[in-house]
Amino acid sequence: MTDILIILLGTTMLYVFAVSRIEAYVKTLAFQGVLLFLLVIIDIKQIYWFNIAFLGIETLAIKAIIIPYFLLKVIRKNEIVREVEPFITQFYSLLIGVLIFIFGFIAAFWASKTNTGIKPLYFGTSLVLIIASLFLIVNRKKIITHILCYLMLENGIFLLSLSVANEMPMLVNIGVLLDFFVGVYLFAIFFNKIHEMYDGGHIDVLTELKD
Amino acid sequence: MMISLVLLLPILLGLLSYITKNKVVNRIALLGTPLVNILVASAYWFNYQWDWAPGWLSEYFRVDSIGLYFFSVMTIVFSSVAIYSLSYFKQHNFSLKQESVYIFEILLFVMAMTGVIMATHLALLWVFVEATTLTSALLIYFEKKKSSLEAAWKYVYICSIGITLAFVGIILLSIASRSIDSLFFTDLYKRASEINPFWLKIAFAFIFVGLGTKIGIAPFHAWLPDAHSEAPSPVSALLSGTLLNTAFLGIFRVQEIFVFADLESFSNFLFLGTGFLSLMVCSVFILRLKNYKRMLAYSSIENMGLLFIALSLGKTGIFIVLLQVLAHSLSKTSLFLTSGNILYLYKSKKIDDVSCLLKKDPRTGWLWIISMLAIIGMPPFPVFLSKFLIVKALWTQGLTWLTIPFFLFLVIITYGMSRAVFNMAFGDKENLTHNKLTYTAYLPQIVLLIILLVIGINLPREMLNFINSIAGLIN
Repeated sequence: MTDILIILLGTTMLYVFAVSRIEAYVKTLAFQGVLLFLLVIIDIKQIYWFNIAFLGIETLAIKAIIIPYFLLKVIRKNEIVREVEPFITQFYSLLIGVLIFIFGFIAAFWASKTNTGIKPLYFGTSLVLIIASLFLIVNRKKIITHILCYLMLENGIFLLSLSVANEMPMLVNIGVLLDFFVGVYLFAIFFNKIHEMYDGGHIDVLTELKD
Repeated sequence: MMISLVLLLPILLGLLSYITKNKVVNRIALLGTPLVNILVASAYWFNYQWDWAPGWLSEYFRVDSIGLYFFSVMTIVFSSVAIYSLSYFKQHNFSLKQESVYIFEILLFVMAMTGVIMATHLALLWVFVEATTLTSALLIYFEKKKSSLEAAWKYVYICSIGITLAFVGIILLSIASRSIDSLFFTDLYKRASEINPFWLKIAFAFIFVGLGTKIGIAPFHAWLPDAHSEAPSPVSALLSGTLLNTAFLGIFRVQEIFVFADLESFSNFLFLGTGFLSLMVCSVFILRLKNYKRMLAYSSIENMGLLFIALSLGKTGIFIVLLQVLAHSLSKTSLFLTSGNILYLYKSKKIDDVSCLLKKDPRTGWLWIISMLAIIGMPPFPVFLSKFLIVKALWTQGLTWLTIPFFLFLVIITYGMSRAVFNMAFGDKENLTHNKLTYTAYLPQIVLLIILLVIGINLPREMLNFINSIAGLIN
């Protein structure tokens, strides 16, 4: 069951590569939140119940409901519909996405041989999520997409930290903290400010400071 | 008790000033916190310990000798910034509400940096590094200009991604050290040989990128010139003089694991490479900069590069690192604070718009020139000593050929900085606006330069022993 969930999580990333509607990104983000919630309640057994409860509430409430709801509100208020033409076209970025998948899994299987108790599927998928989001950040132009891809990056890291959750639950909780503060508090504040000041959250307008 | 004092008092005073918005409370909060920090630091220096603290606190926070050193440097810089802030408020005629917000943010920022310095646990250190980003971003955007918003956004975004990668590194480190099952530095040092070296190296690469972004080492320096030039001048001083150091302390503590695991050749190679790259980036850009605050920011990149080169030199390097941290922080703080004066006098950050500074305001002019001499390493200032020792160490360690690019970059940087500074200080364009500055706009820089001169001419024996004892402890 966990395997299916993790594979689904990986597939969402491919979906993100293919779409350009911003709302689709937000929905994917919410879906990833639900998947992570299911993973937490199914897969983690050896830690205290309140820790699991905390993680479950965090993934479901914050990752799957609050952040996506909030972002959808921002998007509708500012009438951002779709991503402008990215630097690398959709088709080629999908191709690159597939390459990232291949690389991620080769690296994970290779790493699992080093005898540190790594689960290749967990490790590979989180690696894919991290690298793919970094690629998307570089490739897309809208600031809101940057925020969304950053949140996907965090989901990848959350998945990675779940693989050590049984030994070090504290690390997972700290990852959650990061999510909450950076995702909601600062990005939301600054994003709204940039929209007010620059009229259209597009990174090409942020070129005043340079050498 | 003393640790909880320096960690909790800033939050309390900050909140108090944020809520009351009262002038007296603001002054007490702004000047009281550095005073308490000075008292606590000197209590530690004189080995006076008041060890009453709840167990969990003393487990997670501790002041070791290197932490004390960094804390003292931070305290000196923070005190000067606090005094200068009084003049900064006056220059801009801020309302009481704005003052309170500023004080609240700056105190939280200092608290976060204190947490980084005192944390004994890797994950906790990471949390506080993240907290420094969140608190200082608001300070960079304090003047609410379009360009400062851009700078703050770049800062938050780049540093957040960096810090996220550092978190990946910490997770990988905990995978590598499953048998240790603890991320306390003492445990990691003691049982460093049990850590899987392959995963340790990968983990370090991530942590290096993450904290390196925060330090502003090339090639992760993109945010640094923007943030340092757009922040209010006292905040720039705090960012350059303390934030970079505290993040550097993070790298330093992680690098110790390598020393204990006998793998330091790996990390040293990384440090040497990025160190020289930073020198190169600075020397390439410094000749074509139009903005004097950006020039200072690039000089920070250069000095962080020097720190990394020194760190890669092993045992002798530790001494140079400690000396360079102190020298750079104090001279850069003095420069940034003086740049605040210039910005007030000329209302422009462009080098070309400023001339005849010595005639217009002799005190600012002389401070600007002398601070510049301090940062480029004119003897007797201590930066000279640390650069000299780096060259000597490179020579004795058989890396003689590296001294050629080292000198080349330093000459270019020295030329670039002094050309800009002298063009600003001399010249004949009269420009007749008469803004007056209060004495708090000069006092901190004068004190900082005197401290630097004393250290440079005659390093106090106690301090020398202390630095040597740290260097001995670590290796």
